[in-house]
Amino acid sequence: MENLALTIILLPFLGALVTALSPQRVAKWVATVFSALAAAAVIALAIGFDQAGKLAREVDLLSFGQTALMGLTIDRLSVLVCVAVVVLGFLVVAYSTAYLTDGNREHPHDGRPRYYAFLLLFIGAMAGLVLSSTLVGQLVFFEITGACSWGLIGYYEKPKALKSAIKALIITHIAAIGLYFAAAWLFVDTGSFALTGLAHLNDGAKVAVFLGILIAAWGKSAQLPLHAWLPDAMEAPTPVSAYLHAASMVKVGVYLFARALYSAGAVPEVIGWVGVTMAVVTMVYGFLMYLPQRDMKRLLAYSTISQLSLIFMALSLSVFGSELAFKGAVAHIFNHAFAKSLFFLVAGALSYSCGTRMLPSLRGLLKHTPLLGISFCVAALSITGVPPFNGFFSKFPIFTAGFQLSAAHLLLLPLVVIALIESVASFAWFLRWFGDTTPGEASEAVAKAQPVPPAICFVLVTLIVMCVASSFIAASWLG
Amino acid sequence: MTSMELLPALLLVPLVAAALAFASRWAGAAAKPLVTLIHAVSMTVLLLGTLRLAGELLQVDQIAALHGWMQVDSLGAVFLGLVGVVGFLIGVYAIGYMNYELAHGAIDVGRLCNFYGIFNLFVFTMLLAVTANNVIMMWVAVEATTLGSAFLVGFYGKRSSLEAAWKYVVICPVGVAFGLYGVVLVYSNGVAVLPVVGDASSWTALLFNAQLLDPTLVKLAFVFVLIGFGTKAGLFPMHAWLPDAHSEAPSPISALLSAVLLNCAMLIVLRFGMIAAKAVGPSFPQTLLLIFGLLSVGVAAFFIVVQRDIKRLLAYSSVENMGLIAFAFGLGGPLGILAGLLHTINHSLVKALMFCGSGNILIKYGTPAMDSVKGILKVAPITGALFIAGALALGGVPPFNIFVSEFMVVTAGLAAGHPWLIGLCLLLLTVVLAGLVRMLAATVFGAAPDNVPRGDTGALTLLPMGVLLVAMLVMGIRAPAPVGQLLARAAAQVQTGSQPQIAQAPAPGTAVAPTPDATPAAR
Repeated sequence: MENLALTIILLPFLGALVTALSPQRVAKWVATVFSALAAAAVIALAIGFDQAGKLAREVDLLSFGQTALMGLTIDRLSVLVCVAVVVLGFLVVAYSTAYLTDGNREHPHDGRPRYYAFLLLFIGAMAGLVLSSTLVGQLVFFEITGACSWGLIGYYEKPKALKSAIKALIITHIAAIGLYFAAAWLFVDTGSFALTGLAHLNDGAKVAVFLGILIAAWGKSAQLPLHAWLPDAMEAPTPVSAYLHAASMVKVGVYLFARALYSAGAVPEVIGWVGVTMAVVTMVYGFLMYLPQRDMKRLLAYSTISQLSLIFMALSLSVFGSELAFKGAVAHIFNHAFAKSLFFLVAGALSYSCGTRMLPSLRGLLKHTPLLGISFCVAALSITGVPPFNGFFSKFPIFTAGFQLSAAHLLLLPLVVIALIESVASFAWFLRWFGDTTPGEASEAVAKAQPVPPAICFVLVTLIVMCVASSFIAASWLG
Repeated sequence: MTSMELLPALLLVPLVAAALAFASRWAGAAAKPLVTLIHAVSMTVLLLGTLRLAGELLQVDQIAALHGWMQVDSLGAVFLGLVGVVGFLIGVYAIGYMNYELAHGAIDVGRLCNFYGIFNLFVFTMLLAVTANNVIMMWVAVEATTLGSAFLVGFYGKRSSLEAAWKYVVICPVGVAFGLYGVVLVYSNGVAVLPVVGDASSWTALLFNAQLLDPTLVKLAFVFVLIGFGTKAGLFPMHAWLPDAHSEAPSPISALLSAVLLNCAMLIVLRFGMIAAKAVGPSFPQTLLLIFGLLSVGVAAFFIVVQRDIKRLLAYSSVENMGLIAFAFGLGGPLGILAGLLHTINHSLVKALMFCGSGNILIKYGTPAMDSVKGILKVAPITGALFIAGALALGGVPPFNIFVSEFMVVTAGLAAGHPWLIGLCLLLLTVVLAGLVRMLAATVFGAAPDNVPRGDTGALTLLPMGVLLVAMLVMGIRAPAPVGQLLARAAAQVQTGSQPQIAQAPAPGTAVAPTPDATPAAR
């Protein structure tokens, strides 16, 4: 099983090398094959882990003297998130093979090997980060994802895109300083980099290490005050936006925090207060920024920021002793990955076939491009948490846990109520755009839409299915 | 050949090669192949010889020769190995680069012979600097490196390169004169207090008896040594010669200056730091190194962000990295010293790659100005890809090697109780990363100019870079066992050698007594 886990990490890295050396014609197929193999391996890992009774295990990979530098951890948390990042990685690569072509109306451009190589590197680094059992391992993959995001966001080589790429790299690198500190501090205090060592720290050191991890997490998950890179990163090709800002890069942050909480045992409540407060502030900020957006991708960017705040809030609530909040948060990481990917990829499909993704010029999707209309509808309902779609099943336990905890910690109540109001308000806002774009007579751009290629259809349909199914998978997996 | 004979013989190789290279200008039509062959043989022998010596130093603590005038210990072996390995790779690259310059009429065959001749002389002086045991000899060797490389800096004879060479020749010897003053202070004090008067010029003897030295004089001497040899190592505020010299020299020479020469000067600072630490306690030299190191990192970081010239940017990055090495030594402790030594190796590998890359860019575009260099990835894809990897590595992105040593510096800093300094240092390194990716965004991407021919620059200019990239990855993921052992031994040597009591007994397995029996000065 360890070998399988290692394969999942190394296969995309190998694939990236092969892809980078391939001629442009075949690069995308090489990349598709490697990402498909990685996806198959991660599903095999999940099945194998499930059949072996879901027993958590750890193994060291690289050591310096007696100190483990890198290792693998295979447990419920890591396998579930790993499935999401690697499978979505495959779907995004498959989608890109159709999107990055000369037939694209908004961006006619044939994908270069560099694009697919960076994307594969990203998948490998994500898998590595999720499966790491040490803080150094997490830091290494954290930084690799940062470098890959730089390569991908600036892919179109326009000055603005290159600037946004630098912004993303530098802001997340500043965040990484927190992780540098956390890892070094853990080592100096316990003599090991293993995440399990977090449990042996005294309270003061724990607060310091967790603050470091939180800073790193805020940076990657685009939370205040390190959020500025994400809206600008929408300069990236849309499949990249889908992968970075729905499935992987932004999930690095929440996963780091979740993993640390999972390993650390009891954590001082001050971390919970800091986490909840920042989460609610960011959530409100994210919602307010919905209002002026006309570009679908930018709207989704701010929606991502506030959705991740919700996950941060849930994780912080678990500091106060709520297991329900933790499970809700992990389930929401999983569910949101699929729902938001679908949303971004719909935006991409609209660019491809209609040549625009500006919301005001889109109308009558359901009539002219039924698949895109349905996808838009499913994605919006999932994100805003309407049953029977997946968002509901992870948001509900989070709010339940919040209200349960408010009985003991009265100060939490206003924060949870604000979060609930935000959730309802964003539902209303998405409903508005849904009403404007999906039903009715087609606008000019939609009426002239070209058909969507089969690869894009396949990915969208898969994601629609997952938007219903993922919450059940997550619920049964987490038990 | 025993290792005692190998050491002086190894120094003779580039010296002889230099003489032959100068002489081969009279070989007529055969001059070019002949001088290239001489250079290639010299570099190969250099590589094999230094590797063998470094390998032997895994078994023994010290190899001395010429009555103790020369010695290589574990610490010296790290730097000697760097001269050998990086010198070899740059030497190979130089063949490809100079062939191009010759083919395009930038130089004639006579100047090519001169180039290889001075190149080998320069290598000889650097070998001398890392193997010298006589403290005065250390100064002589460092001065000699200036002489050797100054002609290379001004090699093209253009106005700007002559100005850079002039600046180099003025600033460095003036700076290093301070170093001489520090060296003489230690020597004269040694003459007064050492049991054997003749030993006073031997570094090993001075270190062995460091506790006898006068603390005030040692402090004063270390300040002079740090300023003097720090000038040569490119520490702020004595770095003014470095950006000009590095940017005006032919690219292989820039690589050699930055990746090898600066380390030699740093080694001498470290050697005197050991004496000072043993004589007056570690906090005095460490504090000075911390201050100079952090200042260098800080000032260089902001210069890096505003550069418009690739080679100048890389030169400031050398100041930054030498600062970081000094900073690591200043943090001290086993981890800090190990981090400093590791960073020395890592920086050399990466910077050699980057300057070679800048050479390829010069070949294609004819200028290192970022405003003119656009779309490298389209013009020369392999160079472009290597350049991206190198710049990211220089910025401390894993899985490359600099990440490992930078992380080690962070850990050493927290262990030494300097969290705020580390936080500041990491922020400054973020500025450096920003400067490097800004350079990449300006040069590697975008549309290529029409007047630049497409196609990469040939195997001899790409292969050394490829080898360097592999070495960077290997050092970043898992350093080979012998390298790790050598580093651990060197760090232990610095650590125990600068502690008052423990170093009194010679370590087991010593091939030669640490105090040479008779130096020529005693006779």
